[in-house]
Parts: sequence; structure tokens; C-alpha cells
Amino acid sequence: MKRFLEKFVEGALLISGSVTSITILLIIIFLFKEATGLFNSPVVEEGYVLAMNKSNPVKKLNSYQIKHIFDADITNWDEVGGKEEPIEVVRLSDLTNYYTEEELGADFENIPAKASELTASRPGIILFLPEQYIAKNFDGTLLSKETMQPGDFFGGTEWYPTASPSPQYGLLPLLLGTLWVSLGAILLSLPFGIAVSVYLAEIASMRIRNILKPLVELLAGIPSVVYGFFGLVVIVPFLQETFKLPVGETALAGSIVLGIMALPTIITVAEDAMRTVPRAIKEASLALGATHWQTIYRVIIPYSKSGITSAAVLGIGRAIGETMAVLMVTGNAAVIPHTLLEPVRTIPATIAAELGEAPVGSGHYEALFALGCILFLITLVISISIEFIGRKKY
Amino acid sequence: MLIIDAKNVDFYYSDFHALKNINIEVEKNKVIALIGPSGCGKSTFLRLLNRMNDLIDGTRMTGSILVEGENIYAPNVRVDELRKKVGMVFQKPNPFPKTIFENVAYGLRVNGNTDNTFIEERVIESIKSAALWDEVKDKLNKSAFALSGGQQQRLCIARALAISPKVVLMDEPASALDPISTAKIEELIYELKKDYTIVIVTHNMQQASRVSDKTGYFYLGELVEFDDTTKIFTNPKEYSTQNYITGRFG
Repeated sequence: MKRFLEKFVEGALLISGSVTSITILLIIIFLFKEATGLFNSPVVEEGYVLAMNKSNPVKKLNSYQIKHIFDADITNWDEVGGKEEPIEVVRLSDLTNYYTEEELGADFENIPAKASELTASRPGIILFLPEQYIAKNFDGTLLSKETMQPGDFFGGTEWYPTASPSPQYGLLPLLLGTLWVSLGAILLSLPFGIAVSVYLAEIASMRIRNILKPLVELLAGIPSVVYGFFGLVVIVPFLQETFKLPVGETALAGSIVLGIMALPTIITVAEDAMRTVPRAIKEASLALGATHWQTIYRVIIPYSKSGITSAAVLGIGRAIGETMAVLMVTGNAAVIPHTLLEPVRTIPATIAAELGEAPVGSGHYEALFALGCILFLITLVISISIEFIGRKKY
Repeated sequence: MLIIDAKNVDFYYSDFHALKNINIEVEKNKVIALIGPSGCGKSTFLRLLNRMNDLIDGTRMTGSILVEGENIYAPNVRVDELRKKVGMVFQKPNPFPKTIFENVAYGLRVNGNTDNTFIEERVIESIKSAALWDEVKDKLNKSAFALSGGQQQRLCIARALAISPKVVLMDEPASALDPISTAKIEELIYELKKDYTIVIVTHNMQQASRVSDKTGYFYLGELVEFDDTTKIFTNPKEYSTQNYITGRFG
């Protein structure tokens, strides 16, 4: 009977273990499956086509080029590999500049014919039309239907998912925004965190430590939205005043808020590491005539180096994954930042802010999943590096 | 000349009276063994000599201990300076997680030596005096943890010798070692006597009789008897000492 019970418990443990692992695996598979859909989504908005004059040698345009043609940043076909010929951008609504409303018909029934005529007559045209207005005998070339390329995502410098006709899903501004904010956070919180942990582990008396340690741990329990609120009300106006900025919602504001949020992790982990330094080693140092300070920086800190590194890495992990607080204070401008005093947008903030308005299955929706994958890979690399750093090598 | 002179020393851990009216005089270049059953206060007394007990909260000491004529418990004494004069070797080998060379150089470095040739000479000299040179001369830049327990303990002795102390305190230095390593440490103590004064705490009575000139027997926080080693082991005055050294208790 007893043996049967033990077998049963063992079985239950096995099942719960495997269920957990499978669930995690399924989530990851789901994430990556959705994300790869991005590379099957069309460069041009679904249901629309781009048409050009037959004499135009350009047959392919990538997402970035299309966006800049329509933003009038690219104005000549020779910039995208064609002949020397100014680009003439025509949208559906622009047709009225070329034809009267009567010519287009009361119910726009003449649009297909007129679009074809216009395309044939103008060598530099690029016409952006819904598919339904393309006549069977359309006199022009239709741009071949391309899908998003990995380069458009990984190398893209713009995040502009609602751009028309070609949405931009460039990873770089968001990735750099995330890294800048996290780097700033860790630069602020690491020296401070280590200082506090040295104080708590080595200098503070038992009484002070018993008050301070729970206080620090309390910091970890405050919801992130509260930190965001604090940042918005205190730090953002403060930065705006101090640096005379047009807006205070900057990467630096995000770094400060995240730095405060990462402090408890860093302090707790680093302090624990310092407290595990064997008493014998401290005594050995003191017995050789080292002062308390010499012992701290020559023995205790080197000895707990791996613990301190884990603390830093865990802090970075916390900072990279944090969503709400950064969303509230960084200004959310998806541009590549050049200084810490510019608004940035991070990956988690983007996912949180945009997932609600992205139609399920659209390129935008899948691009957000791809961002999720990137975030997952970053944190994965971080946890693996903790494993490696955590191993002592003496 | 007296190098250590403890007068009327009483010591308390919070309200536990650990040492009661201890008086010991130690002459230069002698080896003093402190023996007694566990918890009798011999290690506590040893740690008073370089103020290691300061690190323990709630301790209190009365009386005076003079090292080279100076009261080490006077208010203006710098503890780190005292510990340069009175070195210590612990019960378990406790090398730093550094290279063999850096372990021995540590004491010199924290005392402000920056002259690398001097440090190197001193390190080699100390490792030689600790009878470890032949075993480590090819691997000075290897981690100290690569050494065996007995070698680590001799490394710790070398480390203590590097800063040229006057007195070396040894807290059961061979208790964690095998017989061969123990024999080496004992030989070493015999050698070191020429240059240093050594106070050694030991549980091993043969060891005390082999290495020491004088022996103190502690029991329940009191120094029961303190005399020449030969006398303690052949003709002790106190009944309690006799019981202990003949192995009837403890």
C-alpha cells in the first residue's frame, strides 16, 4: 500500500513537471509561429496595388523605398535603380487632379479606364490603387507582389506600422530604445545598488540592517504602474526643468524609473553574495593587518564578484522586460535615439500599446509577435549568461 | 624580555564569563602551547592577543594585555597595526581565492608596499621559511585552492610570516591535517622559533609536548597551571592537569 502511494506521488510529480515544460514550450512555439507570419505578409497593404508606366524598368521596390517615395523623400526613379525621371505619386484621391468628377463617373465607374489611361500617358507615375479598380486590360506594369523580408524587420530603421501604402516594421528604433533605457538604468542603479549592499552586508549594525533590508525588499513589491506614475509626476517635470527640454518624457526618465525598480533586485542579490563570503577569509584578511575597507575591496568584493555580476544581469533583465513604467515615462516616439534626452520607445511598451489596435493576423499583429520573440531571445541570452557567470572558477 | 604579558584578564561573551583572571607571561622566541578540553577558553584567549574577538558583537574584556610593553587594549591603539605585529594562523586553512603568490603578497600589499622587487623577495623568503618552496616554486601563479590541505596551511603560515610579525598565533593549526602534514607543521614550528614567538592552541597533547617550551592548561575559563612543558607533562602540580594529560577526561 505504502509503495503504491509512493509510486502514485512520483507519477503525479512527473506529470506536473512535464505539463509545465510542455506549456512553456507551447507558448514559445506559438510565439515563434505567429512571428514568422510577418515574413509572409505583403509589403504593400493588403487589397491594394502599385502600378507604373510600362516603359519604367523598375519592377521591384522594397518596403522602405515605397515608404520614402510616398513621403516624397525619393523623388527620382534613378534613386531606386530606374531611369532619370521624376517620380509622380498618384493616390486614388489624387485622380481628381487629373480628371473631373464627371469624367470619373457618378459612381466612379470610369476609374479603371482612366487609371489605365493615366498610367500609360505618364512615364514617371507610380499609382496606388485598390485592386478592384485595376482593369483587365490595364495598360501599365503592376509592381510584383513582394513579402516582407527579414532585412526589412531586422535592419529596418523605422517603426511605422500604419504607414500607407507600405507599413514599416523596423526593429532597430525599438531595440535601440530598449537597450538605451536599460543601459542607462543599469548605469544608474549598479553603483548605487552595490554601495547599498556593501553597507548592508558589512558596515550597518544589525539593528539598522533589520530596518533597511525589509524596506528595500518593500520597494520590489510596489506595482510598476505606481513607479510609472511617480516618474510621470516627479521625474519627468524635473528633467524638463533641469535640461530645458521641450518634453520631459525621455529615455533618461525611463532609465531613472527603471533604475529605481532594479535596485531591490541588485541590492538583495549582491548583499546575499557578500554575506556568503566565509568568515574565515575575512578574518584572514584582518589578521594580516588589513583595515575593514581594505578587506571589503580586496577580499569581499572580489570574492562575491560572480554574485554581483548576477545581480547586475538580473537587474538588466528586469529593466529590459519592464513594460508599464517605461510606457508611461519615455514618450514613446519610435525613432532611433541619439542622446538619453530624447523620447524613445521600448519593445515591451510597443507590444502593450499596439497589440489592442492591430487586426489579428495582419502584418502589424505578426510584427508585434516578432518583437516578442526578440525580447524572449534577449532575456534567454541573459539567463544563459547568468548560468555561466554564476559558476565559480577558482 | 617579556613579549606578551597578560594581567588579570577577564572576558565575557554577553553574560557568559569565558575567561577568569588569566595571567600569562611569554618570553621572546619561545613556543607556548595552550591545552585544555573544548570550550575551556584557550582559543578565546589566543584571539584576545590580536584583538580578533573585537569582531564578535557583545563581548567585553577587563584587565590588560601588553605586547612588547604596550597595552594593546589602550584606546589609541590601531588594531591593524597591532595585527601586523601579531600574526595568526587559523584552525582550517583559509587561503584567499587568489594565486599562491598573491596570497602571500596580500599582507604586504595591504600594508602599503608597492615595491614589486621587495614584495617578490619577501614572498619567496616567506614561502621558503614555511617549508613550502620546493612544492610550489613552479606554480606560484596557480590558484591556492590547487594545493592540498597541508600545503594550504603552510601557505597560510607563509602568508602570516610575510609581514614579519613578532608573534605568531596558531589556533589548532594541524587539527584538520593528516599525520604527515602535521609532522611537517611541527618541524616548521621548531624552525620558526628562532625568529618568532609562537603561541599555539592544540588539542593534541603529544604535539604540545613535542613543540612547546611552556604549556598552559585551561579548564572552565581558568588557567589552572602554566609552567615548563617538561614539568607539566611529567610532574604537574594540579590534580586536574594530571587527569587531563593522562587522558582521564577531556
